[in-house]
Amino acid sequence: MKILGIDLGSREVKIVLMDKNSIIHKQKISTMTFYKNYCLYKNGKLEVDIKNLGFSEDVVAVSTGYGRNNTDISKFRQITEIKAHVYGAIYQTDLKEFILLDVGGQDVKVIKVEKGLITDLEMNDKCAASCGRYLENMSMVLEIPLEKLTEYFEAPVELNSTCSVFSESELIGKIAEGVSMERLCAGVNYSLYRKLRPLLFKFKGKRLVMSGGVAKSKSLAYYLTKDFDEVIMLKEPQFNGAIGCCSYGSLF
Amino acid sequence: MRKIGITTTVPVEILLAANCKVIDLNNVFISGDSYSEDIERAERDGFPKSSCAWIKGIYGACLRCGISEIVGVQEGDCSNTGALLEVLKTRGIKVYHFSYPASHNVSDITIEMNKFMKAFNVSLEQTEAVRTSLSTIRKYAKAIDELTYIDNKATGFENHISQVTLSDFDGNPQKCGQLLEAKISEISKRQPRKQLLRLGYIGVPPMICDVFEYAERFNACFVYNEVQREFSFPRAAQAKDIYEQYYDYTYPYDLNFRLLEIKKQIRQRRLDGIIHYTQSFCHRAIQDIVIKQELDIPVFTIEGDKSNCLDSRTKLRLEAFLDMLVDLRGLKQ
Repeated sequence: MKILGIDLGSREVKIVLMDKNSIIHKQKISTMTFYKNYCLYKNGKLEVDIKNLGFSEDVVAVSTGYGRNNTDISKFRQITEIKAHVYGAIYQTDLKEFILLDVGGQDVKVIKVEKGLITDLEMNDKCAASCGRYLENMSMVLEIPLEKLTEYFEAPVELNSTCSVFSESELIGKIAEGVSMERLCAGVNYSLYRKLRPLLFKFKGKRLVMSGGVAKSKSLAYYLTKDFDEVIMLKEPQFNGAIGCCSYGSLF
Repeated sequence: MRKIGITTTVPVEILLAANCKVIDLNNVFISGDSYSEDIERAERDGFPKSSCAWIKGIYGACLRCGISEIVGVQEGDCSNTGALLEVLKTRGIKVYHFSYPASHNVSDITIEMNKFMKAFNVSLEQTEAVRTSLSTIRKYAKAIDELTYIDNKATGFENHISQVTLSDFDGNPQKCGQLLEAKISEISKRQPRKQLLRLGYIGVPPMICDVFEYAERFNACFVYNEVQREFSFPRAAQAKDIYEQYYDYTYPYDLNFRLLEIKKQIRQRRLDGIIHYTQSFCHRAIQDIVIKQELDIPVFTIEGDKSNCLDSRTKLRLEAFLDMLVDLRGLKQ
């Protein structure tokens, strides 16, 4: 039977379909669209309209993410985001020993995996200043596409604020000082890395695996290579949670 | 009766032969209501933030209980005990030293134990007589251990308590024996537990005692308490004399010797995973590196400091670990 994995993220819902341990379909839907167009509320429970999403009812469905506790339990088996991301990373890398850094829209997770099991973890609380949403805001301020913004890492301009809103004001000040676009972009990327560092501090190790939307950032990977012997960017960083759901579903 | 405090398990037979009431200050500290006050007292008296809470707790408990004589272990246990004893000396407490020699050979252990007997004016015959008289109580502790890992009836925490008690026999061997006997009869009547995961606990007894109860909520049960079991000397009956008994004690000697017994118990008790407890600022936390390398089953490390209950982050970590371990166990079946 095919396995449907859904990761209900804060910004986007990621959907993966797996057959015989291979990914045969993947898609992303904005979180709002997903809730508006593909969900129904029945008896206080959120029921995902699988047919409307284009899948047959005859699937094993596993979900994770924000909405996991509210989705229809009769169809979905729910697993924690931590577990989904670890299963996803093991599936994608075939490794059993690594530190997983997952940076999403509003969440950061650092998970230590030893012998294929979670042995330690750390998550952001209170503030999402080191997440994808911060980069999105900054790309709007700088009027540069997100992908382009994350390419720059050399000679970062110093942004001191730990708060992403104040960082925005600080960045505008630097623009007014005539700092080059390359240095401004690098400054944004470096400040994101610096905000992530305290979470990573406890997890000094040899091999880092990056997942989540922000894992696509070349500059972040560049800064992290100084802290780890090996930095691996997952092929499908944004789909890792949904892939993990499928991988888990295929095991049980 | 002469009251004597101990900082860890020492040859209690010698102290009992000298007609002493033995008080393990670790037990007095951790089970007392004034647990945090004991630590605070030590900090007020100048113990640094960067020293272990057990050392501070022993200090506080020692003063709280009005102990006037203490036996400290300077070799084979925590090296900070040496400095603790120096401070206690300045508080007017009479200090005796005992060492588990690093050479770990019977002749050196014999020298140490003979010195200890001399300090308490006790003969080998008197010590051996006490050793024989304690064998029934040691058998009770072993029976509770078997009720844990063979019959699946005793909880991890009950196992923990019954084993650590034997470091000082609760100050009264006869009463301790009666309590254990009653406990055996109570536990025997129960239905076996049905948890899927079989966990082992290794490392010093925890500061955070709720770890047993918390882990057991997630389809897991503890069926091995490494150091606590060593405190009860489960192999004492096979030792030909007191010297051999204290030679065959894993906790104070080198890690490899400890690991041999741990590996044997992993097989015998069919363990799925290990929880390794380490204490902040303790050298044993460094041994975690070797332990994780040497053991072929998953090892989860918890570091405790001053708190006596699990913090929410450790709870979340433990839950995630056990969740995946249940998956792994399910796959094996």
